[in-house]
Amino acid sequence: MKLRRPILWLLVGLIVAASAIVSMPRASYVRQDRDATMATASRSHPAGTDALGRDRLVRVAAAFLLSLAGAMAASALTTAAAAGIGTLAAFGSKSTGWGLMVVCDVFLALPWMFLLMMVRSAMPLTTSPARSATITFLVLAALGWPASARAVYRGAMQLKTSDWMLYARASGVNGVGIARHVIPNLFHLLVPQFIITIPAFVMAEANLGALGLGVGEPLPSWGGMLFELNNSPMLMQTRRVYFPVALLVLVLLLLEGVAVEA
Amino acid sequence: MTRTTSVLRWLARTTLIMLLVILGSTVLVRFAPGYLSDAREMDSRYAAGARSELSAEAARSHSIWQMMRNEVGNAARGNFGTSRQFAVPVSELIEPRLEVSGRLLGEGIGLGWMVALLAALFSSAGRDPSLFRQAPATVLLAIPTAALATFCLLADCGGPVLVMALLLAARDFKFLDRALRGAWMEPHILQARAQGVRTQRLLIAYIAPSLAPQLGALASLSIATSLSALVPVEVLFNVPGVGALAWNAALNRDLPVLLGVMLVMAVAVTSSGTAKPQTVEWKQA
Repeated sequence: MKLRRPILWLLVGLIVAASAIVSMPRASYVRQDRDATMATASRSHPAGTDALGRDRLVRVAAAFLLSLAGAMAASALTTAAAAGIGTLAAFGSKSTGWGLMVVCDVFLALPWMFLLMMVRSAMPLTTSPARSATITFLVLAALGWPASARAVYRGAMQLKTSDWMLYARASGVNGVGIARHVIPNLFHLLVPQFIITIPAFVMAEANLGALGLGVGEPLPSWGGMLFELNNSPMLMQTRRVYFPVALLVLVLLLLEGVAVEA
Repeated sequence: MTRTTSVLRWLARTTLIMLLVILGSTVLVRFAPGYLSDAREMDSRYAAGARSELSAEAARSHSIWQMMRNEVGNAARGNFGTSRQFAVPVSELIEPRLEVSGRLLGEGIGLGWMVALLAALFSSAGRDPSLFRQAPATVLLAIPTAALATFCLLADCGGPVLVMALLLAARDFKFLDRALRGAWMEPHILQARAQGVRTQRLLIAYIAPSLAPQLGALASLSIATSLSALVPVEVLFNVPGVGALAWNAALNRDLPVLLGVMLVMAVAVTSSGTAKPQTVEWKQA
């Protein structure tokens, strides 16, 4: 509890700094400085440049913002899906609940990475960068709900057997009316699920990108920057390629700190 | 509910899950862009007859229902078909790789558990869960598997087993630390400590049996976690295992291989997840 406020402030600070870097005049994550490929730190490129002469600081800032925004959007989608499916399974007919939980089991029976890889590879691999980013985060959202849905299902089942629910039903409150009361009562489950899923999605995107199945170039992403580490000759020239990874670990630590505190 | 009924229910549920995995994977890959194109059709080395046979094969697979029926029938007979990419039976591709991945998983899980258990024993002996003792696990959990594997590869220290072990140790340490910390504070353990029972005896005779169900659950979780880490670890370290095979098959839309690997994974995760309550139940019977 003591650490929550500093962690949040640090995250907000990083977001503000990244937004400022990206919106600086002449800052572009695609602009190439062909005279300064793999350059070390300088006034024009504070964190050096990559193999194509693109400013590493701008790319890292853009990757951070893109990854955070994508993970948050995917997390919101997955939490909403989990809330809907978990509540439907609990309040629907017995066969609906059983069927939905079997579907959850199917998703949970396959290791997360295998499932992600299979679904991502079934999507177009050669699309525009923006579309590939959208597809990547949509795939994460589409596959991330089963574990959360199970938690919501348990919570909703407890609500279903609670005294006030029995009273509401006895008073003739219809399905829509009950749902209006159920969802707010599940917020204490949904908010932590939303927060916990964000670092998981950031990490999943990084792992997918490192396998060449993530966000397409030239859009910057954590995964794309991890992929860059496979280029050994480049690593011999500069150690600055580790900067994005160090920042990724810091961001994940902060996000996990928020999740633990939640 | 009798034991036979519960086992039958588990079998029925597992079979249903397997069936849905096959159907889901088939639909997904069938509608993947470029699935119906076959590079061999443009290869002039193939005779006209072979090319027309390939076209006929592609035409047959246009029907999703026919395709599903074939896949389910083949899987029921233990025949996963022939790889589109390598033109060899899928079982021949999976079997030798299963051994490689199995060894990697076994060594990684074993080493990871040993590290996690030792660290948890050391950490739980302290009064409070200090930040200093928890920090290494927290930092390790924040490093993506691919990044950890790349670091080990670049630094030329450790191999795939170490990466797998570190990943599992970081994850399991937190559970083990919390469980052991709780166990040390149990009233009967406090009483035994006050009476001067040795720590070693306490651990073996009292704490380990009371934690057995939790350790079983953690073991099954470790299998699922390590299976997820298998792909980046095998791909980055160039280990010829099932993870690397699946990655290759996914990139090349090799449906039979992908289906075979997915089924093996689903069986492994489902069995590991349900083995624990089953074994506890059978032991108690």
